[in-house]
Amino acid sequence: EMAAGLDRPQVVSHAQQALNYTLFDCKWVPRSARLLCLGSAARGSGLLQLYELRGGRLALLREIEKAKPLKCGTFGAASLQQRYFATGDFGGNLNIWNLEAPEIPVYSVKGHKEIINSIDGVGGLGIGEGAPEIVTGSRDGTVKVWDPRQKDTPVANMEPVQGESKRDCWTVAFGNAYNQEERVVCAGYDNGDIKLFDLKTMSLRWETNIKNGVCSVEFDRKDVNMNKLVATSLEGKFHVFDMRTQHPTKGFASVSEKAQKSTIWQVRHLPQNRDIFMTSGGAGSLHLWKYEYPAQRSKKDSEGAEMGVAGSLSLLQNVTLSTQPISSLDWSPDKKGLCVCGAFDQTVRVLIVTKLNKV
Amino acid sequence: MPVWLRERCWRQTASAVYLSLPVRGLRVTAANIFCTDQYLKVSIPPFLFEAILYAPIDDTNSTAKIGNGIIFFTLYKKEAAMWDSLTLGNADKEKMQYLRENAVLKAHEKAKEEMEAKKVKKQEHKKYALEATMKLEEAERKRIEDLKEKERQKVTKELELWKKQQEDAEKQKRVHKEGDLREEVEKLKEKKKGKMNKTQIPSEGTSKTRFKPIKGCHGSYGMFSENLKEEQLPAPRSAATIKINFTSRVFPTALRESRVAEEEEWLRKQAEARRTLSADLSELEDLKEEEKNPDWLKEKGNKMFAAGNYLAAVNAYNLAVRLNNKLPLPYLNRAACHLKLRNLHKAIEDSSKALELLTPPVPDNENARVKAYVRRGTAFCQLELYTEGLQDYEAALKIDPGNKTIEKDAEKIRQLIQGTMQDS
Repeated sequence: EMAAGLDRPQVVSHAQQALNYTLFDCKWVPRSARLLCLGSAARGSGLLQLYELRGGRLALLREIEKAKPLKCGTFGAASLQQRYFATGDFGGNLNIWNLEAPEIPVYSVKGHKEIINSIDGVGGLGIGEGAPEIVTGSRDGTVKVWDPRQKDTPVANMEPVQGESKRDCWTVAFGNAYNQEERVVCAGYDNGDIKLFDLKTMSLRWETNIKNGVCSVEFDRKDVNMNKLVATSLEGKFHVFDMRTQHPTKGFASVSEKAQKSTIWQVRHLPQNRDIFMTSGGAGSLHLWKYEYPAQRSKKDSEGAEMGVAGSLSLLQNVTLSTQPISSLDWSPDKKGLCVCGAFDQTVRVLIVTKLNKV
Repeated sequence: MPVWLRERCWRQTASAVYLSLPVRGLRVTAANIFCTDQYLKVSIPPFLFEAILYAPIDDTNSTAKIGNGIIFFTLYKKEAAMWDSLTLGNADKEKMQYLRENAVLKAHEKAKEEMEAKKVKKQEHKKYALEATMKLEEAERKRIEDLKEKERQKVTKELELWKKQQEDAEKQKRVHKEGDLREEVEKLKEKKKGKMNKTQIPSEGTSKTRFKPIKGCHGSYGMFSENLKEEQLPAPRSAATIKINFTSRVFPTALRESRVAEEEEWLRKQAEARRTLSADLSELEDLKEEEKNPDWLKEKGNKMFAAGNYLAAVNAYNLAVRLNNKLPLPYLNRAACHLKLRNLHKAIEDSSKALELLTPPVPDNENARVKAYVRRGTAFCQLELYTEGLQDYEAALKIDPGNKTIEKDAEKIRQLIQGTMQDS
């Protein structure tokens, strides 16, 4: 019985580092064994730290301090050679940094009136087609898409109609970027709204409400015809939407799971296998899931319209690492199973998930 | 009167006595046989056989075989010696009785001892079993730990190997780029020299032949942008805006499924409260339109309170309450006025009424509830009812734990209470 247990993927703790600031996001530097941690120092400034994995320890290579606390960052729009890092901060500023010369950003804009909660990038890192773009979601209720070649004004702006009271946008994600024209942005808000914006037609393609504030959304792959979208929320729930078939009234089919009692802060798909993803929770736990497709992904309803069929989820492994929420999570795009997570106990942890080949 | 069985025959060796007792037709079981080290009895009512043995025997190992109408005893002597006879000489009745009883007692004791011994042995067995189980489990646990540790080490090694590969790859790239850079510089030099000749420079045909300085680039190995790719990129999107609506939510806090019921109750109550008009309309005909609006009256009251005109504020709140006695805020603010006017009992009444109306407790009415508790608490303290006052301050602190002012005041009250207790 135990043997069967050991055949499952194991989450092995590889290295960790205690920090003296609040950690909000951590990201692997592509094509390297280095990672970035960013957050808010006690004195109210922003911190960016570059670590390298050496043996079983994290060695601090560089520390960069900025005026405002940093909330989120992405390499998604960076080229593989330059690997510029885009960040969103507490003041609503979007900056893109050359980490070799971080004194002055290579791009900077005060994009939002309030904190930028979430950021994503697409078109970089040799993945996908089309122009590199960055999307930011803010407490000011707007979602904006930026092209680093265009200063000051966003190339797309999703904002509430006049007179509508704003809601907090908590999470944004790019998807459907399989050719130069197609691209979507998915945004999740604190009132449970999920909205899907089509950037090619500049329209709202779909919206729904999942009854709990939406903490994190992610497509299983950004650079393919949109396949699956996972949305996590407060109260320990998450939903997996099958994005291949959109029904005119029912939207996308989904399956949901209530895995934990507390907030599910993040979802991240394994870059090397889009049907495996990890969720991180408010009780300091990580859950590794596998999605199984149904026999038929779509069927016809009584009027002959196509509707999607959701599959099923199985829990591969779970582990509790901390008593505080694990608020950030990132898989290494270069080494399968290697991931980093940051928790509110001011610790960044590097983990290795084994046996993912056997899943 | 038992029927004595007297037909018995026996023979002996140095170490054992063999006794054969015929019990024709009688059913005999082990229960019928009683034996101690010097007394043997077979009782199959009404038949009885009894023998006080010549010398002691080892009654534990001695055996009795029942079969074929005979009980065959094999009695092992304690001392190897030949007996003169099977039984001891004729003893008188008393001695016999004594011997019998003694035998019984001895048997009892022996039984007891055996039981004790058995118990002890059982305990030992249990302990042993437990220890064995624990050892097994420990071994199992260790095995799993070892497996996990091996896994960890394997994975670490793999990681190191991968890292090394990364570093080697990077070094290669750097060397390659440096080589290119040198080539570039030389080509440029050649171009300058060869300007006169206008010779064609064989193009490499790759992106690396074009040299573009990058802003902010330091170090001997620069990073070249992939110019070819850049030229293939589409132009930035033409800016556009998408207008959106949100699923309506009255509360500024995030939506949580578990709180929805409470929130709806609160909203319903507020809505009802607004609709209630509890005053007698005839009296109110003299009032101006705005004076019939409880919210407007409450605002008026607030202004007068701010200006220090507490009596006027009370009047405004009174009218508001007369118009609608389901709104908590006029009561809450009137309580504040009464505090200023030192109408402490009225302050307590109004705070209590406000608290009643501020149910169910939701994040939306947190501020109001904190104020109500603090005001009531203050009134209690001014009436020297410190215990009640402290209760209210603690309730306020529960809703708003970060509030330093309330904490300080609560501490003061605690000390007051302790002080008065010491005095009395």
